[in-house]
Amino acid sequence: MIAAQILSVIIFIVMFIFIVMDKIERHYVTLGCAALTLIGVFGLVMRNFDAILRTLNVKSIFTLSFWYESGMAEESTSGINWATIFFIAGMMIMVEGMAKAGFFRWLCMLLAKAVHYRTIPLFIAFMLMSFVLAMFIDSITVILFLAAVTIELAKLLKFNPVPMILSEIFCANLGGSATMCGDPPNIIIGTSLKYSFGDFIANTGVMAVISLVFVVFYFLLVFRKELASPANIKELATSMPSPKEAITSKKDFVLSCIIFGCAVLLLVTHAQTGLTVAFIGAVIAIFTLLASGRYALHILKKVDYKTLLFFIGLFVVVGGLEETGILEMIAAWIGSVSQGNLKLMVAIIILVSGAASALVDNIPFAATMVPVIKSLAAAQGVDLSTLAWALSMGTDIGGSATPIGASANVVGTSVAAKSGYVIGWGKYCKTAVPATLIVILISMLIIFARYT
Amino acid sequence: MGKQTIISISREYGSGGHEIARKIAQELGFKFYDRSLLDEIATEKNMDVSVLQKYDEKPRNVILSRRVGGHTNSPEEIIAEFQFDFIRKKAEEGGSFVIVGRCAETVLKDFDGLISIFITGERQHKIKRVMDYFGISENEAILKMARHDRKRKQYHNRHSDAKWGDSRLYDLCINSSPLGIDGTIRVLENYIRERLGKTESK
Repeated sequence: MIAAQILSVIIFIVMFIFIVMDKIERHYVTLGCAALTLIGVFGLVMRNFDAILRTLNVKSIFTLSFWYESGMAEESTSGINWATIFFIAGMMIMVEGMAKAGFFRWLCMLLAKAVHYRTIPLFIAFMLMSFVLAMFIDSITVILFLAAVTIELAKLLKFNPVPMILSEIFCANLGGSATMCGDPPNIIIGTSLKYSFGDFIANTGVMAVISLVFVVFYFLLVFRKELASPANIKELATSMPSPKEAITSKKDFVLSCIIFGCAVLLLVTHAQTGLTVAFIGAVIAIFTLLASGRYALHILKKVDYKTLLFFIGLFVVVGGLEETGILEMIAAWIGSVSQGNLKLMVAIIILVSGAASALVDNIPFAATMVPVIKSLAAAQGVDLSTLAWALSMGTDIGGSATPIGASANVVGTSVAAKSGYVIGWGKYCKTAVPATLIVILISMLIIFARYT
Repeated sequence: MGKQTIISISREYGSGGHEIARKIAQELGFKFYDRSLLDEIATEKNMDVSVLQKYDEKPRNVILSRRVGGHTNSPEEIIAEFQFDFIRKKAEEGGSFVIVGRCAETVLKDFDGLISIFITGERQHKIKRVMDYFGISENEAILKMARHDRKRKQYHNRHSDAKWGDSRLYDLCINSSPLGIDGTIRVLENYIRERLGKTESK
């Protein structure tokens, strides 16, 4: 077993190093490491064919509970989390349909017009929109459109877009933490530990909304000098593009709005209806493709299958750590350090996951930590959900601190740089690190007050 | 010289490649692009040129940057892309020019008029040239050379499938030390004129 443990840890570390080096595309890295885990760790060293089957977890797709669940049955966290894959794929297809119809650009332009293009109201409105959209849609898409429109408006209205982009990125990550479907770590936590959309809203959602109030005031305070509206704003506002111009096809636009509305409704009510997120993902994908008609193939081709493959490989590598007992050892270590004290466990989880997520991709980290907290809760007899909320806030918010912590940060700073606004680490961290610390502190205090 | 000619010159630090490229451009009456193309990019993008210079021809920092899908937030890579787009645009406009570095031999490999050259030099000559040019000691020159060549190599190999300085990547590789700067220029000009004659007689 020791050989298998050492090998699985080596594979995990090598995977992380290759992801950071970015010489080989990250889905090849995780799939390659997944193959090594399956063949090397499970096949050659452990000679355990069952572990391979458990980790591939394909059987789960063909069970009723994968699509519909009458009770809150506990699912094993082992191996590939197909529910996450199905849901993310479905959302990708829906978002692609919405983007093609011009939904996001229309929404940005409409909001800008509603606040008469004045810089401070625009700044607040875009932060709130970023938060709300990221609750349901992946933060990469939210930032991709929001940052692009912000730069476009900044050029027309002659203001510096960097403060706005930085605050939008932060709010996208914060919004993602509020729901089960907002951020990949939450999808993984939710599907692995069987928490509902409502559970997230009532717990991380509350923390995120309270934090949002502080964050909006914080960003207003730190960027107040850079947010002056130009003197001739009224004159400039008359020459702004109309929101309607963003809509490429009225029919597609209406259909994508309906599908988005249905997706939100299905997600909000999934605990009551019993429909799983895998089912919701599959249904919205099918409806989007049906509604797209002859563009269905085009939309399918635009799906970021590399990210899906990255997830699949990642789950297998983490499955290697789980099957060999490494994650239980980490859980036991946290248990012994905290000596059964729940407050200390929460503090360790939220701070360690926050710090780690600021420096490395938070998705592999969350996937690794889910089995750890499950094992920790079982061994120490503490409430699993408390640890889950700490992990969720730590991974989601910790990622906001640096330009590389979360996908939205990378995309936002990339869009800005491509338009001539290079945002270095210094500029980014100067405002993002204090904001991250504020939210982590608020979350920790709320968890302490509510659950411990 | 009716047809488009693009001369890309890659060079080892201290080999005199930059001076050779500039003089060839002068002799042939071609536009010359080196670091100065950053000025044009800065004007085009309404950016501060010092930001572009800071990240020019440098490899990305693997620890401090990340890529998500097609989006990278490495300023080095984004500024490299700005330059690649710029030289591609200049090449598509049909003009002839000489360009130093910037992976031009890879970026412009599909243009018929491309002549790619790599200039190397003997170590002692390169050290002396760097010492004289910057007025620094031998040790400082050695360190400076090693640093610049390492960065150029990493930068090049990040953006090209072929290796920096590999003779198979270039039409001509030449050691500037035996003939000196002017002698090397004469050889290169002869080669370029031969190539141009061949193209025009086609």
